[in-house]
Amino acid sequence: MKRKITAFVDSDVVISSLISKLGAAYFLINETSLKFFISNISLKELKVVVKKLGLKNEALERLVKKQFYITSLKTDLKKIEEKYKDYVMDINDSHIIAGVVKSKVKFLITYNLRHFNVDKIKRDFDILIMTPARFLQYLRSL
Amino acid sequence: MFAIDNFCYVWYKIVMFNQKIYTPEQVAEILQLSKNTVYQLINRGEIVAKKIGKVYRIPAVSLFFTLTGLDYDLYQAEQKDLKEIPRIQREISKVRLSL
Repeated sequence: MKRKITAFVDSDVVISSLISKLGAAYFLINETSLKFFISNISLKELKVVVKKLGLKNEALERLVKKQFYITSLKTDLKKIEEKYKDYVMDINDSHIIAGVVKSKVKFLITYNLRHFNVDKIKRDFDILIMTPARFLQYLRSL
Repeated sequence: MFAIDNFCYVWYKIVMFNQKIYTPEQVAEILQLSKNTVYQLINRGEIVAKKIGKVYRIPAVSLFFTLTGLDYDLYQAEQKDLKEIPRIQREISKVRLSL
């Protein structure tokens, strides 16, 4: 059986998919032929962001339950930051790279490309970083 | 769902919204390419064109892929998201700082 393409999804893409049903993030997240991951730390931050932006927590819970696998990371953020600090411009984004590596995916989907050291991530982990639309375009080319 | 056949989509937009159509020569001028390169791009499917008799006609929307690397529908969908992204990323940054 053909294996599903796997991708770790950054929180900005998850939130985008909740805000607009006409955006690329929504189209991507609702693509059932793919296998998506977030981490337990991402989920924690997503719950807070959803509340701050006035979105419905039930919608997030429904989406996560339906479309995502949760990768469990140890919650010692200091260790995560120390290990992955060279892969990010903002050290607070380190847990995303930790999630990507632990999930053993091939893609990171984010709108925050500038905050990741794309070349080093590709070189060290063989992971490609793309925006949702760029990833959908890639899928069309397969 | 979103994967409407690109060719049909482009021509649907032309018919429904009366969008501008170019000749290969005009496209070569717009993109600063030679006429031969434009015909090569058409043959490779990188520019969506319709052959009418012996000539090609190219809708403006099909130039999007050549210019942006995205099909027109995906380009539009990305633009939709990008309107909200600064606000979303600001909140995420604040939350990550407090984790």
